[in-house]
Amino acid sequence: MTTTNQLSTQGLDLRYGERLVVGGLDLTLPGGAVTAIVGPNACGKSTLLRGLSRLLAPAAGTVTLDGADIHRMPARALALRMGLLPQQPVTPEAVTVEALVRLGRYPHQRLLSPWSAADQRAVDEALERTGTAALRDQPVDRLSGGQRQRAWIALALAQDTELLLLDEPTTFLDLRHQLDVLDLVAALHAEAGRTVVMVLHDLGQAARYADHMVVLKDGRLAAAGAPGEVLDADLVRSVFDVECRVIPDPETGTPLVVPKGTAARHTTAAASA
Amino acid sequence: MTLTYKAVVRRDARRTPGRGRLLAYGTTGLLVLLVLLTVSVSTGEMSTPASVALRALVGLGDPGDVLVVQEFRAPRAVAAIVAGAGLGAAGSVLQRLFRNPLASPDVMGVTGGASLGAVALLAAGASQLLIPVGALAGGLLAALLLGVFAWRSGLAVTRLVLTGLAVQAGLAAAVNLMIVRFPAELAGSALQWTTGSVYGRTWTEVWGAAAAVVLALAAALVTNRRLAVLDLGDDPAGALGLNTSAARLQLLLVAVALASLAAALAGPVTFVALAVPHIVRFLTGPPTAATLALAALTGAVLLLASDLVVQHLLPIEGLPVGAATATLGAPWLLVLMFRQSKPVRGSGA
Repeated sequence: MTTTNQLSTQGLDLRYGERLVVGGLDLTLPGGAVTAIVGPNACGKSTLLRGLSRLLAPAAGTVTLDGADIHRMPARALALRMGLLPQQPVTPEAVTVEALVRLGRYPHQRLLSPWSAADQRAVDEALERTGTAALRDQPVDRLSGGQRQRAWIALALAQDTELLLLDEPTTFLDLRHQLDVLDLVAALHAEAGRTVVMVLHDLGQAARYADHMVVLKDGRLAAAGAPGEVLDADLVRSVFDVECRVIPDPETGTPLVVPKGTAARHTTAAASA
Repeated sequence: MTLTYKAVVRRDARRTPGRGRLLAYGTTGLLVLLVLLTVSVSTGEMSTPASVALRALVGLGDPGDVLVVQEFRAPRAVAAIVAGAGLGAAGSVLQRLFRNPLASPDVMGVTGGASLGAVALLAAGASQLLIPVGALAGGLLAALLLGVFAWRSGLAVTRLVLTGLAVQAGLAAAVNLMIVRFPAELAGSALQWTTGSVYGRTWTEVWGAAAAVVLALAAALVTNRRLAVLDLGDDPAGALGLNTSAARLQLLLVAVALASLAAALAGPVTFVALAVPHIVRFLTGPPTAATLALAALTGAVLLLASDLVVQHLLPIEGLPVGAATATLGAPWLLVLMFRQSKPVRGSGA
């Protein structure tokens, strides 16, 4: 098989103990594209990402990368192809930004191999790309939430993988920092053709930044496809239990979800519609 | 459960690391160690001038001096250095691995297990060369006991410490029991195995353990990168291709080996492994491979200095060095426990 960096799942069940979190999932996440995974809280989005990145072994079914079962690949071999930004990672105390980002080179290093020029170049590039180069000597735990998130993204970039999984990269960031992170993801995809899979909460942002959308509900696949084809009022009602109108985003033309006014908060627009 | 460790590290991190500071610390430590070593080989029943003692150390000068320095004073000093280095490094690895300021081989029972293993071999009449092997087996046994009794979905601080102290007490009692039944000619080594002492070490005992400690130290330095990746947490470490369970086990084995080999030389010496990581972090900053090496150096300085104190500065003859470190260690442990039971302010990131 060629390396198109296409992840897919076949009849995937993921469990925490006895509890089935993701069930019977057949998915294909197109290589070379940006995929957004969306769904209500506790629908299994993060669990799916852990399954896709080998951190959680399937209770049934398989996860394949370009046709090869990732759970049969050596951990290091997979880490050279796939990077992960976990949700809300906890930074070790007192570690500087550069020391954190350097750990991204771990899969590239052998037990006794010294720090190489290529390693340093990858770290410098990652710091540049994420705008954290000026912060390199700062302890990460003293940075703002947005800066800290960018430092962690830099770690994943230093890993230098063609496939990048991001678990809620924008949660707890203000709008400016959310857009910075998403624009960075879009640039990484556009320049190097990286495959990106990210869990997002904001449906409008998901529609704007993703080529492909996976909608989960209660651990099952509710819909998958291009945002323009998938995202409509019926889907939002059945998955999120929200009455809405879906209109074209005035900036991009991608679908934009506008919840309907409720009894407590009538809007003039709803009244005149 | 990790709040205390975080609070401690965060406080100590205010002092930014910097190569200059590490270098200054290392140079100072080495100089102090050399001075202590010189003092150690020049003093004893009768004092020898430092110049004479150092010449005797390499085999020059009066044969009487050479005998005293080479066969009596030097092995004792080297035993203290090697055991101290092993304890300092073991404490550093364990505290970082468990993210727990109380993790240390003497609190966890590893030191007691190693002593029991060594005593059991001695009582069975095995050669002194095999003592490190017995200590290693005993240390592993203690780690296994701790794992069986304390491991319930991770290691909670209180359970770790209480179980460790119980394991340590049980194993120490077993040591005492065996020593009572020792043949008369071995009774003299009781001090070493009950309180920890480097008195009367011979080169036969020192060489084997020293070589093994050097190997274990090298293993600790080589695997230090894995410790740094583990610090990120299980998911990020796994995403970087690290098998987290295997890495934890490897690091635990290295730490147990370091502590057990130290115990093979010096017996159940307390306090050094517990205190050294705190001292190094306080003076240099967050843990790295360099601070691990400095922890070994600090442990060597601390144990050699303690041994000199009990030999020359205290009015009591023949006090074992373990008694001195235990005297320092008890209040230190109390302070740590007290600090941990207090609520930590400003725990937000």
